[in-house]
Amino acid sequence: MTHPLVFERVPLGRASHAFSLEIPAHHTVAVLGDEDSGVGMLGGYALGLDRPPAGRALAFDTEVATLPEPERLAFRRRVGYLPAGEGLLQNLSLRDNVALPLRFGSGASPKDIDGRVSVMLTAVRLAAVGQLRPAQANEEERRRAALARAMAFDPTLLVLEQPFDGLTARVASELLELARGGESAQGARRTIFITGQEIPPLLLRRVEQVYRLTRAGLLEPETV
Amino acid sequence: MAVRIGLNQVRFTALHAVGLVTLLSGILSFLVISQATRELGRIGATDLIGTLIVVAIVRELGPLITALVVAGRSGTAIAAELATNQVLGEVRALEGMGIDPKQYLVLPRFAGSLISMFTLLVVFDLVAVLAGFAATSLNGMSGARYFDIVLTSLSARDVWLTVLKALAFGFIVGVVPSYFGLSVRRAPTEIPIAASRAVVSAIVGIFLCSALFVAFG
Repeated sequence: MTHPLVFERVPLGRASHAFSLEIPAHHTVAVLGDEDSGVGMLGGYALGLDRPPAGRALAFDTEVATLPEPERLAFRRRVGYLPAGEGLLQNLSLRDNVALPLRFGSGASPKDIDGRVSVMLTAVRLAAVGQLRPAQANEEERRRAALARAMAFDPTLLVLEQPFDGLTARVASELLELARGGESAQGARRTIFITGQEIPPLLLRRVEQVYRLTRAGLLEPETV
Repeated sequence: MAVRIGLNQVRFTALHAVGLVTLLSGILSFLVISQATRELGRIGATDLIGTLIVVAIVRELGPLITALVVAGRSGTAIAAELATNQVLGEVRALEGMGIDPKQYLVLPRFAGSLISMFTLLVVFDLVAVLAGFAATSLNGMSGARYFDIVLTSLSARDVWLTVLKALAFGFIVGVVPSYFGLSVRRAPTEIPIAASRAVVSAIVGIFLCSALFVAFG
């Protein structure tokens, strides 16, 4: 079985070793590292937002960065993405932020989109504050909205950058469960790739593989 | 949502600038035509007022001043807004969601600039003609004669050239600030620099374009 996300000999930052990793389907995998380890670049490589100087990043066996722009944009709708800093549009409400990818990337009617967004907002416990702008919401609400937006197309692969920074372990745990999308015989319904500096220890038992990226670019399994 | 951005752009760029454009157009036209009526009256050449209104004000100064107003007000806003989108990571997030930032952020502003530039120019020219009428009336010219010489001087070519200028200047005001806004990388300190460069470049572009219209129009 092919892996939903694969990194092949991708150089990161000033590391002397190229980065290689395969993310198995239905697994939640976290790669942690200091800021200067280059861990923050992995999400961009996975989605083809940035092109690695060497090696390649494959999502669903496709090197997204090499696709022509229209195909690259279309392909990214198959992958949920929560960027570091959330990237919510400040001039839109949380509700409109969640609706945005559906309005631009699906052929669904406005009524269907509204219905889907209401379900998403309820799932992430934002139904009561959906009309707030990001600047009016707190960090936890913004993170919930960003996660709902990442899951708008119900993708099978989620790339989450620093998803739990600034959140309590309880909220982080709740968001991870939402992101996993329930359990199947093979594991979580979704494959999740997490990058960041740290994740709360409480979450380690829900993450199948946790690696720490050293400054030399080596991956070391994180011990609980 | 893109339509909403476009409508907001038209509201800010066109509707909110109507007062300023009306004021500038009215004062400019009144001053120029008042002086011209007196001076040309002395040599019996008041018929040239029509040419002055059509060529100098409606065809040349109208588009130029309107474009400068739009570039100064909205060009800065477009560049600063897009630069902020870039700095806050919103542009990258849009790309990550599979949404083309040019389609979502630039196109509505571009369309808004085109529509606004065109409508403001119509307002500018109408006010200029009416202010010219007020100026000539105060200097003893009848309304019928004034409108007769203005309409006699106005050709279809003048109308098309004015419309083409509005579109060209609207294009510059829509595209140049968008380019500079999206060129910002990650630092908030780049935002005012981008806004400043955008407006200066747009103004230079407008003057160059205006010169090209005079040379080849």
